[in-house]
Amino acid sequence: MSGNSKDAATNGPTDTAEATSKVTGEVSIRYVAYGSEKESPYLPAIRQLISKDLSEPYSIYVYRYFLYQWGDLCFMALDDDDNLLGVIVCKLEPHRGGPMRGYIAMLATDAEYRGRGIATKLVRLAVEKMIEKDADEIALETEVDNIPSLRIYENLGFLRTKRLHRYYLNGNTAYRLLLYLKPGIPYRPTFPPEYPGEAGTQGQRLMSEDLMQRQIARMQVEDVHNERRDVTGTSASVR
Amino acid sequence: MAVAEASQSLTIDDRETEGKGINFAAERLAQEARQPLSFSGSRGTQDVTAEFAAAAKQLPPGQLVKDEYFTLFEAVGALEIMDPKMDSGYIPPGDSVEPGFDVCLGLPAEEVIWIMDELLRLTIVWHDGYPLSQTVYPSLHVDRLLSPDNKAPYTFSFGDSTDQYVETEERLVHVVLRAFCVALVKSCALVLHTIQSQGFYEEEDFVTHLFGRELLPGTGADEALRLVDEAVRFVEEESELDKDMRSALSERLQFVRLYVSLLMNDIDDWTDMTAMDEIADTHALARARPEAFSDKVQRQLATSTPPRPMVPITWEEAHQRWLQLSADITEAGDLTDYDVCQSPHGLQRAIWVFVYRNPTPNTFARAYLQNILFAGEQVTEGITFFDLMLTDMRDLVLAGHELADPQSFVVEMPADPRHKCSRIMEAFMDKAFDEYMNLYRMVCQNRCRIRRTFTQSVGILDNLERDAQRSDSELDGVIGGILLPTEDDSALIALNPLTSWTKYHKLLVMSWTIQLGFETDIYLPHETGMMYWYLMVFAQRRRKLLEHIDRFTSARVKNLASSGDVRPHADAVVSLDWLAVLRKEVDLIISLSSALWQLNTALAMTKVIEAPKRDYAQEQLLYDVRMKSYLGIAHDPVPSLDEYRDAEQSIRSTDEACVNVDSAVKDAKACLAELKKTTSKQGKYFGTENEWKREMKQLETTCVAVAVQTFQLRSTAYKHGQHSLKGIVEVRVPPPGSRYHDWWPVPQIKIKEKIAVV
Repeated sequence: MSGNSKDAATNGPTDTAEATSKVTGEVSIRYVAYGSEKESPYLPAIRQLISKDLSEPYSIYVYRYFLYQWGDLCFMALDDDDNLLGVIVCKLEPHRGGPMRGYIAMLATDAEYRGRGIATKLVRLAVEKMIEKDADEIALETEVDNIPSLRIYENLGFLRTKRLHRYYLNGNTAYRLLLYLKPGIPYRPTFPPEYPGEAGTQGQRLMSEDLMQRQIARMQVEDVHNERRDVTGTSASVR
Repeated sequence: MAVAEASQSLTIDDRETEGKGINFAAERLAQEARQPLSFSGSRGTQDVTAEFAAAAKQLPPGQLVKDEYFTLFEAVGALEIMDPKMDSGYIPPGDSVEPGFDVCLGLPAEEVIWIMDELLRLTIVWHDGYPLSQTVYPSLHVDRLLSPDNKAPYTFSFGDSTDQYVETEERLVHVVLRAFCVALVKSCALVLHTIQSQGFYEEEDFVTHLFGRELLPGTGADEALRLVDEAVRFVEEESELDKDMRSALSERLQFVRLYVSLLMNDIDDWTDMTAMDEIADTHALARARPEAFSDKVQRQLATSTPPRPMVPITWEEAHQRWLQLSADITEAGDLTDYDVCQSPHGLQRAIWVFVYRNPTPNTFARAYLQNILFAGEQVTEGITFFDLMLTDMRDLVLAGHELADPQSFVVEMPADPRHKCSRIMEAFMDKAFDEYMNLYRMVCQNRCRIRRTFTQSVGILDNLERDAQRSDSELDGVIGGILLPTEDDSALIALNPLTSWTKYHKLLVMSWTIQLGFETDIYLPHETGMMYWYLMVFAQRRRKLLEHIDRFTSARVKNLASSGDVRPHADAVVSLDWLAVLRKEVDLIISLSSALWQLNTALAMTKVIEAPKRDYAQEQLLYDVRMKSYLGIAHDPVPSLDEYRDAEQSIRSTDEACVNVDSAVKDAKACLAELKKTTSKQGKYFGTENEWKREMKQLETTCVAVAVQTFQLRSTAYKHGQHSLKGIVEVRVPPPGSRYHDWWPVPQIKIKEKIAVV
């Protein structure tokens, strides 16, 4: 998703098109959780930092969806003046009624502070917290040519499980990355996804996803199918 | 008003909920229904800013009021009005609401030509998966035709007659350009219909959204053709334009006429679309009139998503894509013709060949091919889906046997064993039908989806194996098993045809998921060795199964030879030939994957390829993630991580690995030499001979590359005499698209220059 934007995490020379001059020298950075305050004063800064990097716009409701329910899984990198240098936004809930799945929805670093390992640190903090909260697995999507992002996650132990054709609004393709934290997950039962085998019926469109659902997919909410069924009634996932 | 009256009798019981919730809503609805509704010709607006602000003030920041139905789905659907990134109706300050261009104005021929060319360019961009709102709709002429206020006969002046326009330039717009636009819009409707009737993935492959507009429902394609003919007549006989202009306009009109006729199946020679070349020749006559197109049309369209970034293509690129579309569709017809369809395997190959054309055929072309095969009840004249599946079973496991003889299926005597067996076969085929047809349908999808579907198929086919075992048991009950003694004559083994057939396809699909994994770059460099090992194991199992099947087919050939049943005997002989080819193909996979496994192992042993540090990973859990799709298999479970490690450790040195690689490459080359001698009849690749040959070449080149890289590694390791070549040798795996064969990544070794010690 655009959430893990191309240059969100660069541990080396950036190849970004923008010729942003980087801040040099020592910077005192502290890492803080967003916490349980719903409309924290940091919310506008988070929105701004994330939307700067992204081609896809999110309404305030999307941020609130994550931060109201999983404020403790959101970490911010701040300098001494409380400027936001980087942020990671996640959630943690059962995946299709089965394993507890952590999901990294957005990760962004201020362009002037790239190359300092901020993004890696934020990811580590999120992963540690999810482990502490008994996550079984962690998932995310990122663009196939977002090498810095891929490097961070793959160096932590994430593997590519799927390639997602033209996943993003701008037509870019994505990888789904997955990390198992506990044994036995492949053997645990989950509800089936909306199975594309419905193509077996003649003249049917495979997986007729309407625009809204694709928008969700672009938002990288992987269990969107479960949620869509839940609109009509029951959901353990959204509380 | 009936609603208002009926609502009077609604009773509202708010004892339980204190007037809130559903009862409150019901009362409010009832009130609104009682109010007279006012219509004032057009929808009026009412400024509710004050009320809205007052209501919003009642909630402090941070207070969330939602019911349990407000999910992320709803959150994502929210658009912030007046945010230009989300609100496509937003008008920046100083900008006009509507584009200023008057579509009823006459235009000179040069500009009409430009508009037509621009529409042709944008139509092919739509084919590539961009929405109508950003392609065809921004044409103000098209926008006028599609306006909700317009109606048949859809003129630029809202249904008014065009007779009032007498000047040439006016008629160029109202007769010629209009006919062109109507025909183009009808072509879009026809393309959309084909795509939506077959398999594709919304937004990944194509955007079908019409944004609240309809594509001229009051006018049929026939009428569009008539308008075009009228327009051509005007151009040629009345317009008094010079020859070049007349030619240019006529060509464009004829092109769109041809396109619509082809889409209607009135004619079927898509090669005629090369007429696009003539249009390209006269493109230089066009003079730009960019004001005839405007993104402001998006402000009026029903959409819940922002416009997407688009990569512009040049007119010349568009020209090439039109030609490519025509070539692809022509090829689709050839690859699915009657003769190819006689062999299910041949047809499957043909579909793979089609989607592996370079560049990949677009969504419409792939829908077109699916339409040929799946729109009706038959894949081709005289072959239903059932026939296809039965032939598949017959060709692979039951050639010459009564069980798979179509004649057995029409025996009506219930007591006849053929009747009984046929019903059992049919019941199984019913269960297997969807997954079997996926072998054809899913290949028509984008590469990522092919792999994703087949990873799910693995589990389904494994379950199907259980059903097959039951059905084989039932068949045994009727006719006794198809049996042969074991090699040492100590026992009898059964063919279990349905189980064998299902298992074969399961193993085939398992191999594809790995090979497609290589093609979609799923595996990291340090995983590649292990995946080649699993590919080898899956291929070895398929080999064993083919041997098993072959024993029975060979025996059947002998029996049929002496029985004098000519037709079944001939079928069985053909099947035997094909099984031999399949065994050779699978031997090739075994050898080549063994070679690449061991080359990768050698690179790991010399620490040229290393897994990253990975603080949060554990070996077994990494294995679980990677092998998830295969772990649920109940029948012949896949080797465990420990078993893989044992295999790895059986290779004792880098040198031993390299020697093994050379030996395996030799075996692979021998297989290729044999395969190159097969005929298309033996190999069932009729219709795809050129691709067969090309693939053989690619595999040969791959073999050579493996040998060369291994030699480099081996000699470097020898020269340095060390265990670790880290820092001395670097490896790079070519990405998909730059490999000799995209299913066989070969690591490229680079020996770094030795740094001179001063």
